[in-house]
Amino acid sequence: MEKVIENVQKKFSLSEVTSAHGYFITCEKKDAVSLVTYLKNVEGFKHLVLITAVDWIKDNKFQLTYLLNNPQMKKELGVRTYIERSVWPEESVMDSAHHLWPAAKTYQRELHEMFGIDFPDSPEVNEPLILEYWDDIPPYRKDFDTKQYSEDTYFPREGRETDDPATYMKEMLYPFEGEKNV
Amino acid sequence: MFDYGEKNRELFPETKSDGTVDIDLSSGKFTKLWHGPNHPGITGNMSLELTLLGDEIMESKTHVGYLHRGFEKLMERRRFINNFPLVCRVCVPEPDFNEYCYAAALEELAGIEVPEKAQWIRTLILEMARLQSYLMWIGGQAGSFGMGMVGQWTLWARDRVLQMFEELTGGRIYHIFILPGGVRNNLTEGFKGRMLETLADVNSILDDVERVLFNNAVFKKRAVGIAVIHPEWVDEYGITGPNARAAGIPKDVRKDNPYVKYGELDFEPVTGTDSDIYTRARVRFDDCRMTTGLIRQILDRIPEKGEFKAKMPSMLHWKIPAGETYKKAECTRGEYGYYIVTDGSGYPARVNVRGPSYTHAVTLAEKMLVNTNLADVAGTLVSLHTYPPEVER
Amino acid sequence: MGNSTKTSFKDVLYPFTVWKNILKEPVTIRHPEKREGSDRYRGFHTNDIDKCIGCGTCEEICQNAAIDMVPCEGVDTKPGDSGLRPRVDYGRCCWCALCVDVCTTNSLGMSNNFRWSVEGENRGEGNEANGTPDDYRFIIGAENKYWDKAEKGYKKPDGYDLTPPDRVQMDHLSVEERSDSFIEMMKGYSKEQAKKEADRCVECGICTATCPAHMGIPAYIRAIREDDLEEGLRILYETNPLPEVCGRICTHKCESVCSIGNKGDAVSIRWLKRYIADNVPAEKYKEILGTSDLAKNGKKVAVVGAGPSGLSAAHYLALMGYQVTVFEALPYAGGMMRYGIPEYRLPYDQIDKDINYIVSLGVEIKTNCKVGKEISLEELKRDYDAVFAGTGLHLGRSTRIENSDHKKVFQSIDLLRKITLREEIYVPEKIVVIGGGNVAMDITRSLARIQRQKYGQVDIVTTCLEPADGMLADDEEVDEAKEEGAIITPSYGPQSIEIIDEENVKGLHVAKCLHIFDEEGRFNPAFDMEDSQFYEADMIIESIGQASDISYIPQETQETLEFNPRRQIVADPDYQVKNEPWLFVGGDIAKGPDVITGISTGHLAAVGIDRYLRGDEK
Repeated sequence: MEKVIENVQKKFSLSEVTSAHGYFITCEKKDAVSLVTYLKNVEGFKHLVLITAVDWIKDNKFQLTYLLNNPQMKKELGVRTYIERSVWPEESVMDSAHHLWPAAKTYQRELHEMFGIDFPDSPEVNEPLILEYWDDIPPYRKDFDTKQYSEDTYFPREGRETDDPATYMKEMLYPFEGEKNV
Repeated sequence: MFDYGEKNRELFPETKSDGTVDIDLSSGKFTKLWHGPNHPGITGNMSLELTLLGDEIMESKTHVGYLHRGFEKLMERRRFINNFPLVCRVCVPEPDFNEYCYAAALEELAGIEVPEKAQWIRTLILEMARLQSYLMWIGGQAGSFGMGMVGQWTLWARDRVLQMFEELTGGRIYHIFILPGGVRNNLTEGFKGRMLETLADVNSILDDVERVLFNNAVFKKRAVGIAVIHPEWVDEYGITGPNARAAGIPKDVRKDNPYVKYGELDFEPVTGTDSDIYTRARVRFDDCRMTTGLIRQILDRIPEKGEFKAKMPSMLHWKIPAGETYKKAECTRGEYGYYIVTDGSGYPARVNVRGPSYTHAVTLAEKMLVNTNLADVAGTLVSLHTYPPEVER
Repeated sequence: MGNSTKTSFKDVLYPFTVWKNILKEPVTIRHPEKREGSDRYRGFHTNDIDKCIGCGTCEEICQNAAIDMVPCEGVDTKPGDSGLRPRVDYGRCCWCALCVDVCTTNSLGMSNNFRWSVEGENRGEGNEANGTPDDYRFIIGAENKYWDKAEKGYKKPDGYDLTPPDRVQMDHLSVEERSDSFIEMMKGYSKEQAKKEADRCVECGICTATCPAHMGIPAYIRAIREDDLEEGLRILYETNPLPEVCGRICTHKCESVCSIGNKGDAVSIRWLKRYIADNVPAEKYKEILGTSDLAKNGKKVAVVGAGPSGLSAAHYLALMGYQVTVFEALPYAGGMMRYGIPEYRLPYDQIDKDINYIVSLGVEIKTNCKVGKEISLEELKRDYDAVFAGTGLHLGRSTRIENSDHKKVFQSIDLLRKITLREEIYVPEKIVVIGGGNVAMDITRSLARIQRQKYGQVDIVTTCLEPADGMLADDEEVDEAKEEGAIITPSYGPQSIEIIDEENVKGLHVAKCLHIFDEEGRFNPAFDMEDSQFYEADMIIESIGQASDISYIPQETQETLEFNPRRQIVADPDYQVKNEPWLFVGGDIAKGPDVITGISTGHLAAVGIDRYLRGDEK
């Protein structure tokens, strides 16, 4: 695996290589698809395990991870790249990898729908995969609040109330002393 | 034995060089048909939008979304321990692979050593899960060709396995048993004996199934040579598990990247030669038999003594250092994996579930179903052993 | 592959083998089914209502938000029990049993029952056939469900815990290192140890009610977990201006009700408090606590006695802008914290750290100034707007047995004070101590140290009425005293002191104590004279309790005071003395006795004084 990463480093500039919990390398956005192509065609990482995104909202970035598997070496290599995180309804844009694996188009459809990351040229990328008539923030973005959504969409069960043990004990056992804190 | 001759291809539109055909719906030649979402041949709520010419499929599109529960997102707002009863619900027939992958990924990131005995119990649970899932699948495969009785037998056998699950874990379907750090409880007294009895019952049912399903003229006629997966598709389409093995590619995570105690067990992945419906069914069936053997091996080797759970910090405040990892396991359908990203807090930053059906049910099914018969759709999908919840989570 | 994919004649015949099943019995279970769930089945919840303490940890861990904590009929709120009980909503529950696993008392469980159908009024006629959803929401174990007493079903397995059951031990000096030295014995937690111990807290807050000062315990433990000691210090000072002291010698009643103490060790709340105070440098206190710049309101308050209650009152009054003067009879401030507790438990520089901060707020402490001698209470009443008295219990109580007034019979409290003042005291080779409380252990262990320094060996016997498991002293105090060479003989009561002459005693006669209290609960010990012992001694020390000295209060004022049966002054909830509105009392003369109660009364009195001086209604 070190050999592969060495080879990759000769051709691409990698900003980070981690191997603590499996091999992951980070490259620039513009290199990502060509790096993945190189890994598939030259280094034998023929099996696409998954493509997914992580929303680093604090850094205003999306992380895209292409997880590839080399069936000969029986090992995975994750390729990470960071792209600008757009403000919804504007979409972030990334190059498509659908020409490399047919399954890539499904992953990209999902990312488009769930994260608002567009992959122009990817077939059917604008067709929703899972959701229908969704007009809110793409739901896997961190600023989409599932709890809020659930409260707005459904109605709460009546008669649910709960007490905090410490507060309740204060009311019951020492109401006077409870007020002393200045 | 039965031969209806070749179809008259002149009536069909011309296939272009890239394998697609022009479909002019206004021509009146084509029929649109929704296969699903509540069709028994789909093994879950998913629908296929089929474009037919006569009874032959010209185009198929997979539609999912009927089972979307947003697990990956829900996990981001729950403590690591609170996700442990949640992950199993990603996939009903095989909850344990979710539990294992989730726990293993967290253990990897947090640097936790799982005790020997817990590893063995995990192996046992994972093989029992495989066994009961296969038994349910056999019923689906036979049922999709009109043999409902086989399903009734195997579901009884599956129920025997669930009974053992109930004894061991306290639950029949959702076991909620493999948790970060180990497993939740020790084996019960006399478990081994009762499990061996169960395995004997399962094996006798499997013998019946062998005779009735695999030595059956109808099944052979309907299944042999239909919906073939070519070996070169395996890497291209990301095909894993029995679907790949039936095409002669011995992909098996248990052998390729041994996890828990598979490295110490004696087995060879079952492979086939031409991955048509019959061969895929055959490979699964033989794998199911092998699983009963593996469980016997495991029962012989589980140590009597030892901890079943590692010493862990308080689960209420458990924080995991920042990092990312991918942990996979071989489920009945192929490579099941969890990609988990942590940011040092008490909650996962991202969990991505990689189910084998993601590619099998969408891209592969869309390709395979073209030019097959409408009557073969159910059989084909069951032979791919797809589960829609893995696609949409 | 076992068989060919080619169709053969065999393939036409084999399917008919299914017919062999015609004669078999069906495997399906007929309705109504009687099948029992397995021994570990996660069925309907059970809860031992008497064992449950309503800590709410089940609610906390429930990922479905299915559990509410609600008041329950027949369950009272009391220290260590919130009086709340979990109510589960089976419309949300997923039977994962994490609530059972995390339950701090092991009272929650699950039965192996899984059938429950509510018979609605219109059963069979309409939509309400199975009752309403509300019927499936119930207080576990309190609503007489048929499975409440089920024995089978899921219980938390042994050897599996979601919260670590074992306390992080604190490093301490070994017996050899400490038994002839007054150096502090407990070394304090390291950061790693403190975080690990803080990790065990489940944040239920049951402890807060029991702490006399109602400290924000879960909040400061969370601050340790998050490594934010400044926030931790702020939380400590909200209710307690003596954290270094309390972090070492507090009676930690909180730990006795700690919820996780029910199935493991209680969280080491006291040591965690010490960790915060020890690890924030004194010079940063004012900046962190935001007290560099306190506005003055021009009013003056006098505090009598620089013990825990007086210092606490002075601290909170100073925060509110009062000019506070503390009058202390002894040469140093601290009261019992300094003169009662030995240095190896509470080093003087740690007391000074707390006191110096209080002084830095503008509080003036006049030492060697005994009210009633150097200055009178009337003068204080005249010169100040209000007076707070927290003079404590500095008189030792006598056993009043034969010869207990002998020269070689001493009071522990006097000796401890002399040791602190570095005065020479009489320490012979053989000593007997009467008493089984923490003060008895303090004098035993202090004298044992001096004996070892002087004679190289320890010969000290400590005897008390209470049995070994009922001794008033903390277990660790007793164990450590034994390790240091003292002999502890519980269940023996003093009968008489045998003397040699006017100068020398021979020893103490004791008899087996049968019971301490009579049937009506009064103190009335009974002895078995057949089982008596004689302990030889050159010195006998009485350590059976202390009394207050309120002679500084003028006679006519004393006459208006009311006392409770424990000889404590009766006062309002804010410790204003009835009939004497200018006078507030606190500490051991009003409540307690212990440091943390003193701190609490001082704080309440400070708030009361503020209200009184602002002329607000109660």
